[in-house]
Amino acid sequence: MEGFLFWFCGGLMVLGGLMTVLQRNAVVSAVWLVFAFINAAGIFAALDAPFLAVMQVLVYAGAIMVLFLFVIMMLQEPTLADERRLLRLPLWPAVALPPAAVIVLLAGWFRESGTSGLGPAPAAGFGGPEHIAGLLLGRYVLAFELISIVLLVAIIGALAVGKDERKLPWK
Amino acid sequence: MEVTLTHYLALAGVLFLTGMTGFIVRRNALIMLMCIELMLCAVNIVFAAFSRLHGDAGGHIFVLMNFAVAAAEAAIGLAILVEIFRRRRTVNVDDLKALME
Amino acid sequence: MESHVNEVLLRWIVIVPLLGAAVNGLLNRRLSRRLSGLLACAAVGVSFALSVVVFLRLVGMEAEQRRVTDTLATWMAFGNFRVDLAFAMDQLSAVMALVVTGVGFLIHVYSLGYMAHDEGFSRFFTYMNLFIFAMMTLVLGENLPMLFVGWEGVGLCSYLLISFWFNDEANAAAGKKAFVVNRIGDFGFLLGMFLIGTTLLPHLHEGEGLYSFATLQSHAGILAPVATAICLLLFVGATGKSAQIPLYIWLPDAMAGPTPVSALIHAATMVTAGVYMVVRTNFLFVLSPTAMAVVAAVGAVTAIFASTIALTQNDIKKVLAYSTVSQLGYMMLACGVGAFAMGIFHVMTHAFFKALLFLGSGSVIHAMSNEQDMRIMGGLRSKLPVTWWTFAVGTLALAGIFPFAGFFSKDEILWKTWSSGNTVLWVIGFVAAGLTAFYMARLISLTFFGRNRASAEVQSHIHESPATMTVPLVVLAVLSLVGGWIGIPHFMGGLAHFEQWLEPVFAAAAGSGGHITEVHSGVAAIDATAHAVQTGHAGGAAVHDTTMEWVLALASLAWGLLGLVLGWFVYNRRLGVAAAARGLGGGFFHKVLENKYYVDEAYEGTFIRPGFRFSRTVLWKGVDAGLIDGLLVNGTALVVAIIASLLRLFQNGMVRFYAWSITIGMSVFVLYLVFSR
Repeated sequence: MEGFLFWFCGGLMVLGGLMTVLQRNAVVSAVWLVFAFINAAGIFAALDAPFLAVMQVLVYAGAIMVLFLFVIMMLQEPTLADERRLLRLPLWPAVALPPAAVIVLLAGWFRESGTSGLGPAPAAGFGGPEHIAGLLLGRYVLAFELISIVLLVAIIGALAVGKDERKLPWK
Repeated sequence: MEVTLTHYLALAGVLFLTGMTGFIVRRNALIMLMCIELMLCAVNIVFAAFSRLHGDAGGHIFVLMNFAVAAAEAAIGLAILVEIFRRRRTVNVDDLKALME
Repeated sequence: MESHVNEVLLRWIVIVPLLGAAVNGLLNRRLSRRLSGLLACAAVGVSFALSVVVFLRLVGMEAEQRRVTDTLATWMAFGNFRVDLAFAMDQLSAVMALVVTGVGFLIHVYSLGYMAHDEGFSRFFTYMNLFIFAMMTLVLGENLPMLFVGWEGVGLCSYLLISFWFNDEANAAAGKKAFVVNRIGDFGFLLGMFLIGTTLLPHLHEGEGLYSFATLQSHAGILAPVATAICLLLFVGATGKSAQIPLYIWLPDAMAGPTPVSALIHAATMVTAGVYMVVRTNFLFVLSPTAMAVVAAVGAVTAIFASTIALTQNDIKKVLAYSTVSQLGYMMLACGVGAFAMGIFHVMTHAFFKALLFLGSGSVIHAMSNEQDMRIMGGLRSKLPVTWWTFAVGTLALAGIFPFAGFFSKDEILWKTWSSGNTVLWVIGFVAAGLTAFYMARLISLTFFGRNRASAEVQSHIHESPATMTVPLVVLAVLSLVGGWIGIPHFMGGLAHFEQWLEPVFAAAAGSGGHITEVHSGVAAIDATAHAVQTGHAGGAAVHDTTMEWVLALASLAWGLLGLVLGWFVYNRRLGVAAAARGLGGGFFHKVLENKYYVDEAYEGTFIRPGFRFSRTVLWKGVDAGLIDGLLVNGTALVVAIIASLLRLFQNGMVRFYAWSITIGMSVFVLYLVFSR
């Protein structure tokens, strides 16, 4: 089951990622990204992280990408004029080669160091809501609180940046 | 073939590479932001994989934090992008080089 | 051996004139002329009084011990090298101090009258006091660097005073010339000092000041091998300061300064600094017969050279200037043949009568409404009686007529030259003495005799100078008469007090290798010492030499009188002779002499113009503009700009470029991590 999920969702995810990057139209790009995220949920499921899988769909695909689409639509310029020459071959290798080399080497290194599987199956309920909740409000409660402050700051920041100056109450 | 840790790491690596290359190559700011999201996702996969390997769900917590940060970052980034668009009518990052020397 | 008898007054002798200069300099026009002048004269007067006090103290001491010192502080000290800020007065310094401050005082008083109407009255006295300060530092310096400080100081004051009326560019140029030529001499002086230092330093013990004269004297043996080099280098400095060939050229030009300046600095005191320096380091010079020969030869040649030029000069001050150069040559001649005491004796007498002559000429110029050309003067005898009589006394002294001061000093020099076997030099000196008498007679005739040739307006202003100017003239005239009487040599029945007084200073020269000669044994010992100085011409009893002395003395006297009479006659009665002489050789000789043998022009062509050209093309355009400006300054900026422009490429504002850089960096880093395992 795990293997199937991995290959299927992984492959589709890679496809989704490639399509995201290669599309000229931003809306299409965003939709492909949603597709990739949904497949990411599948990967999480394969990794015994059910809660994460659900969160991935809800938050990432559901909220963040929606926000993206909102903005894309608002700006009404999904396709940039000078990106037509984008897919020229010389540029991509020059860019991708260094990280590609790194990743290949890392992969080789891992292959040598241990082809261990992912270990024994974890206890039941691993990665489930209760488990996560327990950790979140237990061991990692500080992180939990702090992240909420981060979100607050983000909200305020977004508001501050994005508002229309002319409509300020005191102007 | 058994799916090992390496597979997941390779998957994450490919995604990360894709996202990074896309970030460098594309000029549309919105798409660049999406590439960032892609990279973050790849990182999430790595955390989840290691979490599964060690049986420690702390990795999951970190992924959740990552979600929140990504959301925050996307929100603010988009807000800034909107503001820039309002002023300069473009989302082409090559046109946004006012900070050059 | 060093005597450490302390005398606190020494520092005040030097410092009081400095204070005078400071007050006058800082308060300048806020002081009334009266107060300003009074202050300046008082400062020098105090210095003179203190010099007398210390002198009397020296008199009361044992002859071999006559030396007092005053150490203010340690100036420089590291390792064995030590130089103190210290003064010392021994017999030699005492003589110099008395002459400088005494004559200086008289000239200051004279200046009250001469500069009375001048705009820069206070400034003048500031510089004059400053000069006395520097000269006293020179004379009372306990070591060579102190002497050098004074040396430079008087050079500075000379410059300031020569170009006192600097609004006229010619005066400024004269000042510059004096300073620059002096500097050339100073270079030699410095090299000599360095040579002394490097030779002597390794041999010194702790606590001995390196350049202290006492130390140098006691270690003279160590310096013997390089003595010739040292002395020649030091002598170069002396030729600069004391206007000998080849560096005398600044002295005639220095007449551009006010006449009291010419009197004080360029006749009585500063120019004698070179002679003083040679005498001071006599223990080094006697180690090198070569150097002594050079000194004597240069002195003699300068003496006759300058006196030939003086024959044709029309400016009254220029005649006196060349006369000074000539007389300085005599002093150097004396030193060169080992008669150091006689050299100093002539310094003293020369100070008296040359200052007198200059001040007298100042009086004449003042009366003639600033006219200096003798061809326009004449018949001033009746109009300026005091000036005339004092001037006459000065002339007789300069010409070496008995019993005036100049007779004794000049005669002794010539005698010592003859008796040391330098017959050629004696002839040169003898001829020059005749020329001296002749040109002085010429000067007198043109100025004081005959009819006045000036315009009617100038003639109407002719008047005798005020008392403040004539009194010093009279005092100096008296000194010119009696000043030589303390040095009346033995063969004339005198006691040679002067030579006796200075004897211990020249113990080394006496050839007794550092031991103080017995000076109390009377006449015989002194004659024996005089013989020891001569290089192997001693033979015969004292009686035989005395006869020769009488012969030479009478010859000098006769020759001097002949010169005077002849000169007076030619320029007073038979002017046709003068005209004929001028026309000799188609006017060639006269032209050469009148143009000072074209020496200045020669220097201009050989040194000055090439120097300018070199400076302009190589040093200025090449080094300064090209190398320093272009390469070093602009070059550095250019390098920075280039590097900056390269670095700037990284700051292009392109987000994607930044991301790419991050990627590359990250990749390199990860690769490093992977491979370092």
